Parts: sequence; structure tokens; C-alpha cells
Amino acid sequence: MGRFSRIGLWLSGAIVLVVVLLGVVAPFIPYEPADAVSYDRVLEVPSVSHVLGTDEQGRDIAMRLVKGTEAFFLPGLMAAGIAVLVGALAGAVAGYATGPVRAVIVGALQLLDTLPRLVFIILVCTIRNPSVTLIAFVAGVLFIPTVAAVIRRKVEALGSEDYILAHIAHGFHSVWVILYHILWLQCWPIMVRQAAYVFGYVLFVETGLSYLGDYGVQEPDPSWGNMVAQVRSLPPDAPWPWLVPAAAIVLTISGFLAFGNLAARRGEEAIR
Amino acid sequence: MTATPEPMLQVSDLVIEFDTSAGRRRVVDGVSFSVQQGEVLGILGESGSGKTLSTLAVLGLVPGRPGVVGGRIDLVLDDRREALLADLPTVVSTPNRGPVRKDDRRWNRLVQRRWRPLWGRVMTAVFQNPRQSLDPLMTIGAQLDESVRLAEPTLGRLEVRGRSLDWLARVKLHEPARVHASYAHELSGGMCQRAMIAIALARQPRLLIADEPTTGLDTTVRQEIVELFQELLAAERRAMMYISHDIREVLFLAREIIVMRHGRIVEVVAAEDLKAGRGRRHPYTATLLAAADLPVGEVAS
Repeated sequence: MGRFSRIGLWLSGAIVLVVVLLGVVAPFIPYEPADAVSYDRVLEVPSVSHVLGTDEQGRDIAMRLVKGTEAFFLPGLMAAGIAVLVGALAGAVAGYATGPVRAVIVGALQLLDTLPRLVFIILVCTIRNPSVTLIAFVAGVLFIPTVAAVIRRKVEALGSEDYILAHIAHGFHSVWVILYHILWLQCWPIMVRQAAYVFGYVLFVETGLSYLGDYGVQEPDPSWGNMVAQVRSLPPDAPWPWLVPAAAIVLTISGFLAFGNLAARRGEEAIR
Repeated sequence: MTATPEPMLQVSDLVIEFDTSAGRRRVVDGVSFSVQQGEVLGILGESGSGKTLSTLAVLGLVPGRPGVVGGRIDLVLDDRREALLADLPTVVSTPNRGPVRKDDRRWNRLVQRRWRPLWGRVMTAVFQNPRQSLDPLMTIGAQLDESVRLAEPTLGRLEVRGRSLDWLARVKLHEPARVHASYAHELSGGMCQRAMIAIALARQPRLLIADEPTTGLDTTVRQEIVELFQELLAAERRAMMYISHDIREVLFLAREIIVMRHGRIVEVVAAEDLKAGRGRRHPYTATLLAAADLPVGEVAS
């Protein structure tokens, strides 16, 4: 692993760490969106009392940025969890099982894979009561085939390795051999990469829909997406109320993607 | 000669076929042999003679399709006879024309039912390519511990580790503690094979199947491994099938030897007779003996 990759791993790791910390801490910070409004400090520039300034309703931007992580943090984890856990198991079955079990799993995966993600998420939002949890659940399910495909290739490649055969001959249960020796020891880098990707995707969809307004987080509840949406009514000489959350979105998504990729690459190098 | 006791393993008329791009090919054609309790059966033959597949069939681990399509495999454990391939007729069907068909699902179920309880506990294998037979991402110790724990689930952590270190010492690995903490790629091929033997024997199987365990090792190391097998078997009265293309190794270990070629057994002979050059030899066996600079004796025409 080259020097740039290592620096990238540390930088993106720092971003991931900060976002995770904020996501964990945010729910415990008391915040009442309605009380935060104060029309005597509208659009203040960053200062000591308001580190990132205030928006057009006089609300502290730093505070809304921190509370905004609540909108995507747990949903993002949930989606990543669904996609990686279910995807890995489905991929393992598709790669190892035979007969009708395999046929059913492969068919279901192919069916899921044909659905266009963003369109399908919006479609579900129009049918059901839209919420970020619902969006994340659907996103997680839609990523199952992607995860399953990479895991399946790995399981198929390793399934005929001598040491897998040797473990079976020594009396280890094949389910254990696959779950531990293949999925856990060999596939964790793949799973880290995919989990980071799905998390980034949920952040992207949540902020995107919150920006558009109909299906995401609604004002006055904070989301990085609806914070950016203020750009529509802001005067041009006060860019920070939208610039700060926009930068946060870009940094977080690229940070997660880079971290997933670089950590996985590092893991794969260690495995080989 | 006294009456032979009932063998612990009896294979009769074993047939293995594979589908290839050039149609169905029969790779093992009516092979029969038996292994006596506590004795070593040597299987000699070149690559492609079907010797490895015959032993994988005993393990129920023949890869590819359709695999085992005929024969009987009987196992006698504590005077209880177990027919491993008893259900084969329900799995394999013979259509009026064309090759026999095999129901993969039923076969898998048969393997799960008959063989799964035997793997490790009753029979297990040491394969060629010791390094590839070990999980590259686990230390030798972790794998040996797994094996010990599977054999004796009631042991505590420290006892398991102690048992593992004992096994490493018994397969004559110096510095057992260092090997215990090493990965396969950090050890030599010979050391990996010793570790592999320890892992297999830690399961305490009645029958050990060694499939060309010395292939790819240095000549001196090969001799050591063969001697190790002899020592470990003599101490435990374990039965073994020793597969090799090296006639000297087989002569050293086995009491009875079968010689295979093109999927058939060409000769069954006692190691004593082979060593002494007694009796008439099949021409192929004679070639093998001559190639190893051993007395050939009389050759059957």
C-alpha cells in the first residue's frame, strides 16, 4: 500500500470517526427546533457564540449540523447491516448450495437486481408513509444483490480449495466452515467496503430527498439536505448556511467511500 | 496363514464416472479392496490411475459429477456393520440407453446422513499440498485447537492448548510453542505436513487416509514423514490407507499393497512377497519395481 493510500486511509478514517461520534452523541443533546428560532440574530457570520454562524431563522448552524446526523446515522447503519448480513448469507448459499435452494435464492437476487434503486425508493415513498427509516430499509434490501454477487464469487472460488475440503474431512460442519473460514476470515474486507458504500448511499438519498422536500426530513427538524435547501431563499452574500452542510455531505460521502475502499484494500493485501 | 479377521473397511466393485466434454468417462472401474483393523493398506499407481478417487470415495468426498455410481462400501465399527452405499440404488438409475443418471440431491442427502457422522471421528484424511490444506488466515495453533476441541468438547482453554502442544511435539516439531503461533506460509512444507498430520490425528480417527502426503517435499523430509506415520500408527493401532506413487514408501509402511492402473486394480500383493521378489509379478508392477531398482522376480506374461 503506497503512501498516498495510507494518508487517505487515515484522513477518511478520521472523517468516519467524527461522523460516528456525532451520530452517537447527537440523540443525547437536547434540542427543540421551534425554540431555536430567534429573529434577532438572523444570518450572523460565524463567531465565538455561533461557531458556524446562524441561518435565516437565527438558528445555530453548528447545532443543526450535529443534530442533522440523526437523520441518516441509524438508518444508514441499518441499511448497511441489512445489505451486508443478508447479502453475505445469500451469496454464500448461492455459491455453495445446489438444487432448488440455490435456484430460488439466485432468482430472487436477480429479481431484486433489476429494480432501479432511486426510482424504486421514491416509488415506495409514494405508496407508504415516507420516513428515512423506510428509505434506508428499502435501500438496504436493494443492495443485497450487489453484496451477494461479490461474496458468491469468493465462496465459489474458495469452495474447492484444499483446506476447505480438509476441514470437511476432519469433521467440521460445512456451515461452520463457510461462515467462519470463508465469510469471516476471507470476506471481511469485501463486507467493510460494501457497508461503507451502502451507508454513503443512504446519506446521499436522505439528503437528496430532504433537499427536494417531499419525502425526506421536514422542517423544522434538521437534516443536512433541508439545510442546503435554504439556498433557494438566501441572499447571495450569506452563503454559509448552505455551504456548511453541503461541504459536510460531500466530505462525509467521499470519506466513507474512501475509507471503505482503502480499508478493504489493506485487508485484502494482508489476506493474500 | 490363519483366518483373516473381518476387515474394518470393505470396498467392492466401486465405479466412478465423470461427465467430460468428450462424454461420460469411467475413471474407476470395479475396484475392490479391504482394510484390516490396525493395518496399513498401500495403494500404488501413477497419476490418473484412480487411486486418489477411490480413497475419496471411501470418504464420500468425490468431487464432480456424477461421481460414485456403483459399488458397495462397508464399514465395521465395534462389530457393527454399516453399509455406506446402501442407498445408492435409489440414487442412481439406469435408463434403457445412455449413461446412468444420478440424483444429486438424494446423493447429497445420503452423504450427509451416512458420512457426516464419520468425518473426523472415524475417518479423516491428510492430503497432498500440506500448505494448501491449512487455512492461510489462521495460525497452526488455532486450527489444531479447533480439532482438539471438536474431539474433546469438554476441555478448558488451557487444556486444549496443552493438548495441541503435545500433538505438535508428537509429530516431532521442534519448538511447538513457536509453531503453534505460526501461519502456514511461515513454515516449510515438511513442517506444514507434520502440523496437518497432528490436526488429523487430534480428531482420533480409526482410519487415516494419507493421499500422497509426501508429494512436493524434499527427499530427506519425505523419509522422516513416512517414519513418523509408522511410529504414530504402531502406537495407536490405527488403520491407514497410504496412497503413493513411490513404491519404496508403500513397501516401508504397508502390509498389503494394491497396484492400480487406468482405474482398475492390476495386482494385490503382500509387501513381504514384493520385497522378497516371490511369486509372479504383473508387468506393470514389474516396471515400477525396476524403476525403483528393486528385485523384480518372475514376471507374468
